[in-house]
Amino acid sequence: MARTLTMIQAINEALSQEMTRDDRVFILGEDIGLSGGVFKVTDGLLDKFGEDRVLDTPLAEGIIIAAAIGASMMGLRPVPEIQFADFITPAVEQIIQQASKLRYRSAGGYSCPITIRICCGAGGGSGLYHSQENASWFVHEPGLKVVMPSTAYDAKGLLASAIRDPNPVLFFEHKSLYRQAKGDVPEDDYTVPIGPAAVRREGRDLTILTYGYMTPMSLDAADQMSKRGTDAEVVELRTLAPLDKETILKSVRKTNKVLIVHEDKKTMGLGAEVSAIISEEAFEDLDGPILRVTGPDVPAIPFSPNLDKAWQVDTSKIIAGIEKLAAY
Amino acid sequence: MASKTNRAVMEPETERASHSPDLLLGLYRMLVKCRMCDEKARILFRQGKYKGNFYSGVGQEAAEVGTAYTLRKGDWIAPSHRDWTANIIKGAPLKYCFAQLFAKTTSPDRGRSSPAHMGFPELHVITPASSIAGQLNVGTGVALGIKKLHQDSVVVAYCGDGATSFGGFHEACNFAGVHRLPIIYVVQNNLWAESVPLRLQTALTNLSDRAKAYGFPGYPLDGNDVLAVYDAAQTAIARARAGEGPTLLECKTYRWYGHSEIDPAKYRVKEEVEQWKKRDPVATFEKKLMDRKLLSEESKKEIVAETTKEINEAVEFADQSPYPDGSELWDNIWA
Repeated sequence: MARTLTMIQAINEALSQEMTRDDRVFILGEDIGLSGGVFKVTDGLLDKFGEDRVLDTPLAEGIIIAAAIGASMMGLRPVPEIQFADFITPAVEQIIQQASKLRYRSAGGYSCPITIRICCGAGGGSGLYHSQENASWFVHEPGLKVVMPSTAYDAKGLLASAIRDPNPVLFFEHKSLYRQAKGDVPEDDYTVPIGPAAVRREGRDLTILTYGYMTPMSLDAADQMSKRGTDAEVVELRTLAPLDKETILKSVRKTNKVLIVHEDKKTMGLGAEVSAIISEEAFEDLDGPILRVTGPDVPAIPFSPNLDKAWQVDTSKIIAGIEKLAAY
Repeated sequence: MASKTNRAVMEPETERASHSPDLLLGLYRMLVKCRMCDEKARILFRQGKYKGNFYSGVGQEAAEVGTAYTLRKGDWIAPSHRDWTANIIKGAPLKYCFAQLFAKTTSPDRGRSSPAHMGFPELHVITPASSIAGQLNVGTGVALGIKKLHQDSVVVAYCGDGATSFGGFHEACNFAGVHRLPIIYVVQNNLWAESVPLRLQTALTNLSDRAKAYGFPGYPLDGNDVLAVYDAAQTAIARARAGEGPTLLECKTYRWYGHSEIDPAKYRVKEEVEQWKKRDPVATFEKKLMDRKLLSEESKKEIVAETTKEINEAVEFADQSPYPDGSELWDNIWA
């Protein structure tokens, strides 16, 4: 039976069901136990599963991830949390030098089935160091899978898939979607496969490729533009690594125009890679330039309201992108 | 604790009942085997039999053998770049160890990692990254797994003096202290982190003092005395198996050669090297066994001959093994 849940509730339920289903699963991170998480994502899990499976850790992201990597080598299924994507940097050593390469450097002798949950993204004027959306850093590293859902349904199903996946998976949760993304979520456990993108809105005139919080924004922009005669298709990537080239190229071949929308910075963001793939594999199908609407190339989101507002990627910027592309 | 004798082990003056002749000879055989394999690896590199580099542990054998000799099959070793011989002590057949140097398909990682960065999954030796102290962090995670699975295995994690300056060392030790994990951190303090002397690495006299900050015991040891190391390791391993938590063993020792085979180590004075060579961990133990009539010139020759034969066969095996095909580039990225 489905009920309406927020993304927070959906993730909490996925964790709880996976921990019930498989006693190798345990969670660890800063403030996830006694306090139930900064955003209450892990609320109630300490009471339900006890200290052995819900570990409040020292304030040290490196060992949070390393402890998970080592435990996964013992056959366990750790789900570490990085409280804010901004603070993943001390753990990058472990993620890139250990997790992504462990299987490769041992020729399959060791595996690293961990799922790193990471809260990311702009929202609520959180300033320079509680707002970054840096998932693309990890897309660059083969050996890792990178996932970012935008609906409560996908959040539960993708997280279950991630935990059951034999590879290291980075599961990015956008904080602006935590309470905003509400939807029907089945009570029973289910999975949404890692890999496939989702066509969220069918359209004829152009394709918007997007992910994360930019998905509802892009859908809003597409709805507004349809009233003005431009029919945009919206494809949500959902899995950023490995990319679902097939769905991307299918949509490009259908509409012949591409707008890429992401919150991450423009330079070397995921849009650059997606754009290159399209130009390599579907150049003949394009009727216009591949355009990008992205976060600005500034170091991080400044705190003061006007600066924060100037930074935001909002519906109006996406609409401007659609209009520019539609003119070709 | 800051004594210069470096012998903070329990009952240092009395011979332990557990030092049976079999154990003493076993330790000796392993010391010889490690020394001979390491020297052979150096020669093979100089002969151009393999590329890359080799990080010799000659001079540090007592620290490795003393800590890893009695580990069980289920126990884990987290080696660094200088601990190629840890695989040998854990029981990896020599042919695979030399195949590792040669980057052949018969190496445990099918030629993926650089020569001395060897792991052996079957025997729980973790394939190391080159990141300094990384093996301490991952090894600590394995110890967490052991605890969660209620096993009685232990992890022995190796690093040099340089690694103790790295943040990862602190994070690993702190976490292991909090959770009383079954891990033994073995710091092989050879006085030089590549070319940086210990005085520029730390203000401490004994790196083992760091353990106090993490709430578990740390001991400074004569890392060239295999029995001193062995005794301390036995205590540490027993403590870990009993669920009483980690121990830090600082083995004060010396690497005879450069950081790697391409490092002539001109930053060290000759007298220092010569002085440490006089404290050769293999020769001093050998003399001890001969004095006790446990070893003769004849039996020594036999051990050397046997080991030489084993090494030659292993090198031959590695030499004859094929290189992996270029198509293997894409294997094992994802499960």
